[in-house]
Amino acid sequence: MRCPYRVNNGCRVGTAHHLMMLMAVLEAFVFATVIGGFFGILLKKNIMMKIISMDVMSTGVIAYYVLVAARGGVFTPILDETANHGAYADPVPQAVILTAIVIGLSLQALMLVGVMKIARDVPTLDIDDIETEYTP
Amino acid sequence: MTIAWIALPLFMGFSSYLLPKTARYLGLMVSLLSMAYGLWHIVVPEPETLRLLDSFGVTLMVDSLSGFFILTNGLVTAAVILYCWAQGKSAFFYAQAIILHGSVNSAFICADFISLYVALEVISIATFLLVSYSRTNKSIWVGLRYLFVSNTAMLFYLIGALLVYQANQSFAYEGLAQGPPEAIALLFLGMLTKGGIFVSGLWLPLTHSESETPVSAMLSGSVIKAGVFPMVRCALMLESIDPIVRLFGVGTALLGVGYAMLEKDTKRMLAFHTVSQLGFVLAAPPVAGFYALTHGLVKSALFLIAGNLPSRKFKELKQTAIATPVWIALVLASFSISGFPLLSGFGAKVLTMKTLLPWQVIAMNLAALGTTISFAKFIFLPHESQSESSPKPGFWMAMVILLGGLFVANIAYYKAYTLVNMVKPLATIGAGWLVYLLVVQRSQLKLPQLLERFEHLMGVMTLVLITLFWMAVA
Repeated sequence: MRCPYRVNNGCRVGTAHHLMMLMAVLEAFVFATVIGGFFGILLKKNIMMKIISMDVMSTGVIAYYVLVAARGGVFTPILDETANHGAYADPVPQAVILTAIVIGLSLQALMLVGVMKIARDVPTLDIDDIETEYTP
Repeated sequence: MTIAWIALPLFMGFSSYLLPKTARYLGLMVSLLSMAYGLWHIVVPEPETLRLLDSFGVTLMVDSLSGFFILTNGLVTAAVILYCWAQGKSAFFYAQAIILHGSVNSAFICADFISLYVALEVISIATFLLVSYSRTNKSIWVGLRYLFVSNTAMLFYLIGALLVYQANQSFAYEGLAQGPPEAIALLFLGMLTKGGIFVSGLWLPLTHSESETPVSAMLSGSVIKAGVFPMVRCALMLESIDPIVRLFGVGTALLGVGYAMLEKDTKRMLAFHTVSQLGFVLAAPPVAGFYALTHGLVKSALFLIAGNLPSRKFKELKQTAIATPVWIALVLASFSISGFPLLSGFGAKVLTMKTLLPWQVIAMNLAALGTTISFAKFIFLPHESQSESSPKPGFWMAMVILLGGLFVANIAYYKAYTLVNMVKPLATIGAGWLVYLLVVQRSQLKLPQLLERFEHLMGVMTLVLITLFWMAVA
């Protein structure tokens, strides 16, 4: 049986188990990023920091898509007729998340422009100050 | 043909930048086309399914349910464009309105989670640009708050979509049944927040009430339904989802109407009432389309009227008389939403009430009573025939479309006219007015806006997520 992963230029006994562990650890890190980002959104008082926290959270989500795509293999999914490269990564989640990255980027840009305008009225950019300023 | 129709608004939206003079006409044309397309699918109820690029590609599905939602969107957009016709709005405004219209349409026909994600995000961006059209710092904050809340919810939604993919190797709606409970919780958090349902929907009142009149009409009339529609679709496809959707429908109907009864500001009252009416749409998924159509027409008409009243405070409105023609339009719309016979609100209410499950009936009747109480505030306003402030002609064009639509839609479901069906709404309206005149009119109680604070909107997301998870497990 061919090993789906190539670590240290070859397949060693016990590598599959090793990689399962590695995937689990990576998954834990990805979720830590998502949750860390969300706590940033909740706990940071400054709207700028909240937006950056949201970016951290979206990085976590993107990483999760990449991780799931690599469950079955890690080789770039470009078909090569001449050589067999082993297991390919799943291209669908990668293609999908590309759309989400672009959308996320444009949303960030819009929000930052909005914050620049708001900073003229509320220089502290503190969420409580902003809400007292604008709530009717 | 479906693909041409879905691509047309986006194409027109961008080309109206090149030809700014024609933007209004393009917008009107696109919305008329959507109306025709929606009507066609209501009349010919055979569902049409499209799969682009085999099983990994985009899945589209159009049936009579989508037909009703698309028709609503077309009518509301046409009315809003006519309303703005002579107001000198820039081509940018119309371009955004057309793009918003197109993306809402695509949310109504897509049948996989990723196409829905893209449609919902385009809606977010176009809505932000429309809300902040006036470029005041306050409107930018309102838009920013909306964008932030919806984008955070959509990040959770993306994780849920991936979990569904992992279980099925496909993003189609059908896969939700095989997905883990986390997936259901995460996906529904996204859709509940986008659709303004229950406590996740408390961002809605501020956004809808602080936008400009035509923008609020469009947001409340059609855009908000883009988040509700996929839930209805999932509930119809999968039996395990149905109880969750119905329960949230009942919850939001009561919560929204509770706030609406005590609200002292016209536009905020209408916005809270939207939260409640979406509950009626969700409470009976099989007949959601007709209810959504009626609500879309009425709510956009009411927002356009509220924008032409001399004041936003009910207290001041009680002192200053409003012009009789405006008052008549206001009363017609209020009667329809209270379920008075001869207007399509009646048929929609009867149909929804018939499709409810036994455990929902009491709560939904209470919500209907609350509706009549909150709209008694509008009906009992003073009016006089010699008022100086008369609205622009565009206003009347929009009213003709929206209120005319109410009369025509009423004929579609003529079977509702039996004696028993007629007595019940009349009794509800009578009881509602009585409660209004005796109790609510005098009450000074004002609910705090605490839950609408930004921090709380975010915190509520975690609570809803946990609740949803346990509901999905159960």
